[in-house]
Amino acid sequence: MKELLDITNLTKKYYNKVALDDVTISFEKGKIYGLMGPNGSGKTTLMKVIIGLHKQTSGNVLINDNPLSYKTKCFVSYMPTENFLYESFKVKDIVKYYSDMYPDFRSDYAMEILKEINVDIEFRVSKLSSGLIGKLKVALALSRDTLIYLLDEPLNGVDVLARDAIMDLIVKSYNENKVFIISSHLVSETEKILDSVVFLKDGKVELCGDAEELRQQHGMSIENLYKEVYK
Amino acid sequence: MFKIIKYDFIRKYKLILIILIAAVFLNLLAIVKFSVQGGVMFLGLFPIAMILLYIVDIIKMYSDDLNKKSGYMLFMTSYSGYKIIVSKLITAILEAIAILLLYLIFILINSIYFSTTQGFDLNVNEIISAVNTILSGRLGFNLGHVFVFLLTVLVFATGFILTAYTSITIRKSIFSETKFGGVLSFIIFIALNWASSFSSSKLMSILPPYYDISGDLGQISATQLIIALLPIIILSVVESILMTLGSGYLLEKRINL
Repeated sequence: MKELLDITNLTKKYYNKVALDDVTISFEKGKIYGLMGPNGSGKTTLMKVIIGLHKQTSGNVLINDNPLSYKTKCFVSYMPTENFLYESFKVKDIVKYYSDMYPDFRSDYAMEILKEINVDIEFRVSKLSSGLIGKLKVALALSRDTLIYLLDEPLNGVDVLARDAIMDLIVKSYNENKVFIISSHLVSETEKILDSVVFLKDGKVELCGDAEELRQQHGMSIENLYKEVYK
Repeated sequence: MFKIIKYDFIRKYKLILIILIAAVFLNLLAIVKFSVQGGVMFLGLFPIAMILLYIVDIIKMYSDDLNKKSGYMLFMTSYSGYKIIVSKLITAILEAIAILLLYLIFILINSIYFSTTQGFDLNVNEIISAVNTILSGRLGFNLGHVFVFLLTVLVFATGFILTAYTSITIRKSIFSETKFGGVLSFIIFIALNWASSFSSSKLMSILPPYYDISGDLGQISATQLIIALLPIIILSVVESILMTLGSGYLLEKRINL
């Protein structure tokens, strides 16, 4: 089986607003996906349903062939876009927390990454800049050895140099048994590493497919295609 | 489960430290300013202040996990909803036991201090004699009664904590898309309490008066007392189990953080 994540007729409503509208899509292992769309298109909601932080209104999600439950959380490493880390903890305490809570977490690897991207483990989370928090969140998510990685705006608030470092980390973490799903507004920065893209518009899949095929089919880069879809 | 409890305590260790230092400081201040009366006043006010702080703290601990983004730290892990609610309950009970022990330590330290500074001869024989007085029931109750009292307090405190946690859980699952969350949680809390007292009164009206405990407490044994209280205790335990199962299910299947 190639699909690690299979989503069928997924709908999520808040009050009267439809955040996800009958979404059907599969994510295959060995690929890096770009989840594209402007604010409010449903990217974050989709990720939160997959990790189980939000309950879908209807539809099915299969993760590694298992229906969504607390058990499937062990297959998913999620990096939320918000700062969700305990503010009173030092970075090294957060690493220890992950190590205690996730059996697949690689502490040594996390320490190595944090050193590489210049995050001081003695710093308290409340004292970190938004850029450093962004780097820390990416390092934590990628230090888990699991199947599905959901990175929600991993380049948000991060300086240009650090963006390259983060993109390198994602590529370094890639292997043919895993799937990476990256949502980002910064299409030009992420485009170079994407195998496939999914364009969400008003909670629906507007366009999806292999990045290279879409470039050839439409005769333009993914960034320009993004502008075309959302203009 | 142990790890969830461990990190709940790590998260609040600073608060615990601050309260401990403040309590020691206030105790010293009370003794220096008002001598023995000050110490007694402190020992009288300390449990009232601690109960209020405790209630605020345990509700905030659970509410923050469900209402703030930091709750993702817990809910992204692969712990079942049942394990989460039971862990939170154990943390709250352990915290209550720690406060009770702290209070006993304060009583002991103050007693030693008074005995040495006021010239009381507090010897071991007198302490043993005092315990014997309690045990013999001459004060109208014995250690068995104390045990029944503590058991009843534990059962009802557990019920109270679970009612608060269930209210917050219902609000963040079934009513997650409703506005005015705090007020709604409180309304649910009141409704659950009303349902609980309604079932208690119904149960008591159905059950025949099978055990009479009116009269002097000294003439009723602890066993008789526990038999008399048994229906209400069992009802409270059943309610607690139902709330645990209900909250666990909602945390697992219906949560919207």
